[in-house]
Amino acid sequence: MTLAPPRPTTDARRAFFDARPADSAAVDLSVRIGSLTLANPVMPASGCFGPSLGRLIPVTELGAVVTKTVFGTPRGGNAAHRLTEIRAGMVNSVGIPSRGAAGYLAGQHPLYLALGVPVIVSVGGHRSSEYAPVVRDLRGAGDAYELNVSCPNLDRHGTDIGSDPDAIGKVVRAVRQETDKPLIVKLPVLVSSIADCAQAAEAAGADAVCVANSVPALPLTALTRSPILGNVIGGLSGPNIRPIVLRLVWLAARAVDIPVIACGGIETADDALDYFSVGARAVQVGTASFGRPYAMVEIKRALQERCEGVAAADIAELIELWRA
Amino acid sequence: MTGTPALAALAALRRQQAFAAADEAALDGLIAVRPPERMPRPDPVWDDAPVLVHEVVGERYRRLVLATDTIATTALAGQFLMIPVPPADGERILLPRPMAIHRRHPEQGTVEVIYGVAGRGTTALADVAVGESLLVTGPLGRGFEFPDAAEPTATHPQPARTALMIGRGVGVCAIMGSVEDAARFGIGATVVLSGRSRANLIGLADCAELGATVIPVTDDDGSSALPALGARLRGLFTAAPPDVILVCGAGVLARLAAELGAEWGAPVQVSLEAHMACGLGYCHGCAAPVATDPAVEGPLVCVDGPVFDAVLPVA
Repeated sequence: MTLAPPRPTTDARRAFFDARPADSAAVDLSVRIGSLTLANPVMPASGCFGPSLGRLIPVTELGAVVTKTVFGTPRGGNAAHRLTEIRAGMVNSVGIPSRGAAGYLAGQHPLYLALGVPVIVSVGGHRSSEYAPVVRDLRGAGDAYELNVSCPNLDRHGTDIGSDPDAIGKVVRAVRQETDKPLIVKLPVLVSSIADCAQAAEAAGADAVCVANSVPALPLTALTRSPILGNVIGGLSGPNIRPIVLRLVWLAARAVDIPVIACGGIETADDALDYFSVGARAVQVGTASFGRPYAMVEIKRALQERCEGVAAADIAELIELWRA
Repeated sequence: MTGTPALAALAALRRQQAFAAADEAALDGLIAVRPPERMPRPDPVWDDAPVLVHEVVGERYRRLVLATDTIATTALAGQFLMIPVPPADGERILLPRPMAIHRRHPEQGTVEVIYGVAGRGTTALADVAVGESLLVTGPLGRGFEFPDAAEPTATHPQPARTALMIGRGVGVCAIMGSVEDAARFGIGATVVLSGRSRANLIGLADCAELGATVIPVTDDDGSSALPALGARLRGLFTAAPPDVILVCGAGVLARLAAELGAEWGAPVQVSLEAHMACGLGYCHGCAAPVATDPAVEGPLVCVDGPVFDAVLPVA
């Protein structure tokens, strides 16, 4: 099969790659998660990134990548439709298909490693006892683990582990027996006290908490009022959940000393700075990447420019300058 | 008389639901994952693509011509784009919409897309003016492939010389790249263009330009009805069946194509659509309608398709 001969092209993607700014000596965007230092605080939200996106953006400009959640045994995922968009935002009930720890190691992990930035492996389970075996089966792969105790669309429509401080403690203590690597606990939106949940994670030895996940929701069709999603219930994400998650991040950051990673509706550097100003130390970007694949890189570049613009040494100083 | 318009609307809704359910059921057991492709897919890119043309086609379609050099040069027949909708008038559309590439014009560095104005996303997209840019990602997915001598089958040891293509509504767009390829490779193409009415047929001018034989069929004169269309195609082709059948736009047409393919010993490929967020395989939103072991994720429309084999289930 022959196509037209190749010729010089000027797609916008190449210009974006070429515009990579020099790392600034005057601005330090780095963030520590336990023993791991990330060059900057911008990373994808689990499930909203894959190595295939890494081919479209200069992924080495990110602080880290986060994998789709790995379960101990293979899961097929939910029935179609798995996602939709309503006025309130995106709602997904993908159901986290997973090839299991062995499948991840054989198929996906090499592709993540090749991206050249720290890899945070997201780990899932249906019961608090299921997390540690997954981490053991990952045999040291990954630079840190994010314990997903908050997916709103798994079997029991529940966020049962992540909303129970005792269960969170159990999960973290058990995983801690398996690894010295940094542990991040990804907390849900629907909790009676995010402070109690974050403190339980910290007390059990977690190195950071990620706040939060998508918001459980039930989208209906306009005409027949029947469920759009095969799983009926899904997780709402996108800019409309930002104020909800901002409150949670503020509460969590006041309750613990470990870093809080904010995740909820971040589309721009301004959105990220909202979260930094209420105590977040890093941010995860999810839904925004679907419409603008380069959103994460743009946010990282803009954070650096904002600091440079007012001669702030880091984001904390940038925020202090506004409030001075 | 109060209530009559509401009752009529309810009846129309029921018909619409029944039609949609039947169309979905027609795909049951039909979709099969194809053997590995014989040439690598082009790398997708994203591009700020200026809108050169944005015009009304028929009663409810819009045609977009986008300037996007790399995609126009590399896209394969049946591949698609993810097209985000720019914010306007307070309406925010978060997810890009998957759309088939209707025509590739590598010498002009442009591609054409035709879409139906259906929901919030496409309604907002219809307001985009010429001169604005759309942030397209593509080319994506696995498109249609003509059988060739490199992958001989028992029934087709030779490269395809003739092809029957069947498209309905905007589904015509997915097959138009193959009409282009047929013209380039000297494959005899017969194209069934199906739609509600003559004014709503997509692709008449394209097929004329590309030298394909067209069979226009419409709902308003009954020519698009399955028994009529099936009888007509059997009459035309049973003596000399096509080497391949490509279909897009309706589940019932995919089933008809699979039946014809089984009768004639011709392979059938069908392009599917699905809700998706990324188009690249990482959001896992677009599960293809293939029954699999619940512990194993089935194929995804965006990366394993959108084009699959259509094979009649063994009764």
